[in-house]
Amino acid sequence: MSSNTELQWKGYAVHDTKLWDEFKVTDFKPKGMEDKDVDIKIEYCGICGSDIHTITGGWGDIILPLIPGHEITGHVVRVGPKVTEFKVGDRVGVGAQVGSCYDCQRCKSGAENYCLKPIHSYNSVYPDGTVSQGGYATAIRLNELFVFPIPDALSLEQASPMLCAGITAYSPLRTNGAGPGKSVGVIGIGGIGHYGLQFAKAMKCDRVVAFSHSENKKADALALGATDFVNTGAKNWVEEWTDTLDIILCTVDVSHHIPLSDIFATLKVHGRCIMLALPDDALPPIQAFSMIASGVLLGGSHIGSKAEIVEMLDLAVREGVKSYIELLPMKEVGKAVQGMKAGKVRYRYVLKVDI
Amino acid sequence: MSANTELQWKGYAVHDTKEWDQFKVVDFKPKQFEDKDVDIKIEYCGVCGSDIHTITGGWGDVHLPLITGHEITGHVVRVGPKVTEFKVGDRVGVGAQVGSCYDCKRCKGGSENYCHKAIHTYNSLYPDGTVSQGGYATAIRANEQFVFRIPAELPLEQASPMMCAGITVYSPLKTNGAGPGKSVGVIGIGGLGHFALQFAKALGSDRVVAFSHSENKKDDAFALGATDFVNTGDKNWVKDWSDTLDIILCTVDVSHHIPLSDIFATLKVHGRCIMVALPDDALPGINAFDMTTSGVLLGGSHIGSKAEIVEMLELAVKKGVKSYIQMLPMKEAGKAVQGVKSGKIRYRYVLKVDI
Repeated sequence: MSSNTELQWKGYAVHDTKLWDEFKVTDFKPKGMEDKDVDIKIEYCGICGSDIHTITGGWGDIILPLIPGHEITGHVVRVGPKVTEFKVGDRVGVGAQVGSCYDCQRCKSGAENYCLKPIHSYNSVYPDGTVSQGGYATAIRLNELFVFPIPDALSLEQASPMLCAGITAYSPLRTNGAGPGKSVGVIGIGGIGHYGLQFAKAMKCDRVVAFSHSENKKADALALGATDFVNTGAKNWVEEWTDTLDIILCTVDVSHHIPLSDIFATLKVHGRCIMLALPDDALPPIQAFSMIASGVLLGGSHIGSKAEIVEMLDLAVREGVKSYIELLPMKEVGKAVQGMKAGKVRYRYVLKVDI
Repeated sequence: MSANTELQWKGYAVHDTKEWDQFKVVDFKPKQFEDKDVDIKIEYCGVCGSDIHTITGGWGDVHLPLITGHEITGHVVRVGPKVTEFKVGDRVGVGAQVGSCYDCKRCKGGSENYCHKAIHTYNSLYPDGTVSQGGYATAIRANEQFVFRIPAELPLEQASPMMCAGITVYSPLKTNGAGPGKSVGVIGIGGLGHFALQFAKALGSDRVVAFSHSENKKDDAFALGATDFVNTGDKNWVKDWSDTLDIILCTVDVSHHIPLSDIFATLKVHGRCIMVALPDDALPGINAFDMTTSGVLLGGSHIGSKAEIVEMLELAVKKGVKSYIQMLPMKEAGKAVQGVKSGKIRYRYVLKVDI
C-alpha cells in the first residue's frame, strides 16, 4: 500500500455549455480516499458520444466546470488498505461508472451497473458532496469494483474505448443470446457500432448485418466482420430484410434516421431491438401496432457489469477485436469533440494525457 | 362430411362509424368453401375492445357494413374434405384470426398468429375479395387451423372471451416465463386484466400484483388471484413498487393512465412490460433513458398460436379460471358496445345468438 504523493489532479474542463469545444486545464479535488479506493495515473481517455451530449447541455444541466471522459486507461499508483484486486503498477481501466451503493440486491448480485444510486464517472455527486470528474485528466480515484484489469495483450489505447463503447455493445449481445444460430443487426457504424459488429462476429453469430445510411462505411463494415451490409438509403431494403434478425443493436438517433417501425419489420418473431443511442429528445412516438406484427421488444441497456467487462476484454484478445482509433494529444480535445459531434471520426478519438 | 343447408349467414352489422352503437341485421356472403374449411353455427360471441376500436373508426377505415366479434363459440355443422381435426357436432371456438398463408416459416413453425398475411376475423380481405365478417352472427366459416376445440368441462359462454382476451394475456405470460420464481404485474383489471391475474396465478407465479387507478376493483382483484393490489391514484406507489416485477402486462391506454416511465420503474433488471392495450393513438414518447435505468424491454404481442390456445384452455379447466361475464341477447349489441366503451362492464359482455 504505497502512495504517489506526486500524483496531480487536473484536467481539461469545459466551463460553459455554449462554448462546449473550449477546454481549460483546471485543478480539481478528488473524493476523499476511502479504504477500497484506487488512484490511477491516467494515460489515455477515449471520447464518447456521452461526453458530447453532456458538455453541450443536451442531456440537461451540468455542474461546471466539468472534466468529461469515461473511457480511461492508465496505471495504479495507490491502493487503499482494503483493496484486494489491484496493486501499484497494475494496468487498469475505468468506464462510465465509478461508484454505487454496494448494498442493494443489484450491487450484490453482479448487476452494479443497474444500481439505482450510481455514481457516474463525471457530473455525479458523491455522498460527501464531491462532483465526480472524468478522464480528460491526469488522475482518477474510485472504488476498486469499478476498476478493470487490462490484459497484457491489449494496449492501453486499444482498451480505452472498450470501457464504454465496447461494453455498451457487448453486454446486450450477451444478455440477449447473441451466438451460434442467431442473426444480429447493427444499425450505425460508429464508436459503438464498430464494436457491435466485431463482438457479434466474435460470439459466432450466423449473420452480422451492418446497416448504414450510405455506402461509405461498407468496406469497413465487412472488414469488421459483417456478413452483410445494408444501405438504408436504398429503396426496398425493409422488404428484403423482413423477418431476418433476432437481435438488433441500434446506435443511431431514430428521430433522424430509420423509423422504428422499419427496424421492427426486420425482426423475427419475438426479436428485440436494443436502443443504445441516447439522443437528447424522446424517441419518436411508437404505434403499439408496429410491435405486435412480430411480437417484438424494444429494450434499453446500461454499460455492463464488471464480470461482463472482464469477459469482453478476454474475448477481444482471443478473437482479435480491434479499436479503430485516432490518437490525439489531450490538448487537442476541442478539435476532437468537434470531430465527434460532426460524425467525422473513424471510429473513436483517444486522447493521450499531456499534462 | 355433411352439410347443413339450413345454416344461415346473417349478423348484426354496423353501417356507419359515426353511429357505431347502431346495429342492423344483414345477410352476408362467407368466403368460398375450401377443402380445409369448417362451418360453425355460432352460439355465443364476446365483445372485445378491438370491436369498439374498429366500429368507431378509431383504428382506421372499415369495410361497411361490418359485422364484428372475434370471441366466438358454437358447434361444427360442416367440414371440408381435407379437415382432419373436427367433425360435425364438435364444440369449437374461433378467435381474432381466421386465415394465414399456411406456407411461410412462421405458419410452418407454429407462429401462425404472426404470419404477415394474416386474415383477421373481421374487416380483412380474403384472396378471393371476400371481406371477413365476425361473430355477432349466425355462422362463420374458417380454416381448421384457426378453429379450437372447447373442452367439455368449459361452457361455451365461459370459453368465448378466452378466444381473444384470454389468449392475448396467456401467450405473453408464457413466452416471457411467468411461473414459479417470477413476479407478475397486471395493469388494468378489465377483459384482459381479469384473465391475466388468473393465468399468472395458474402458472404458479410467486407474486401477482394488480394495478388499478382506484380502489373499486380491489376485492375482485384478490378474488381473481392477485397477491397484491396497488391503487395508482396513491402517492408514492412507484417508490413502494420499485424493482419488484419481472413481467408486466399493460392493458390500459398509457396516454391517459400511468406514464410508461413509472411502469418501467417497477421492473427488475431486464424486466419487461408487454403492451397488450392497442390504443388508437401512438404511445407517448419514450425517453431512451427510461429504459437504461434497469435495462428493461417494452414488447408487443398478438393473440397466440393454436398450441398456446389449446394449452390455455386446458390450464383454465385444470385451475378453475373463470370468465367474469355478463350475458346479453345479441340484439342488445348496441348496449353492450356502449358499456365496453364507457368501461362499465365487469369484465366481458357475451352475446347470445338470437337470429
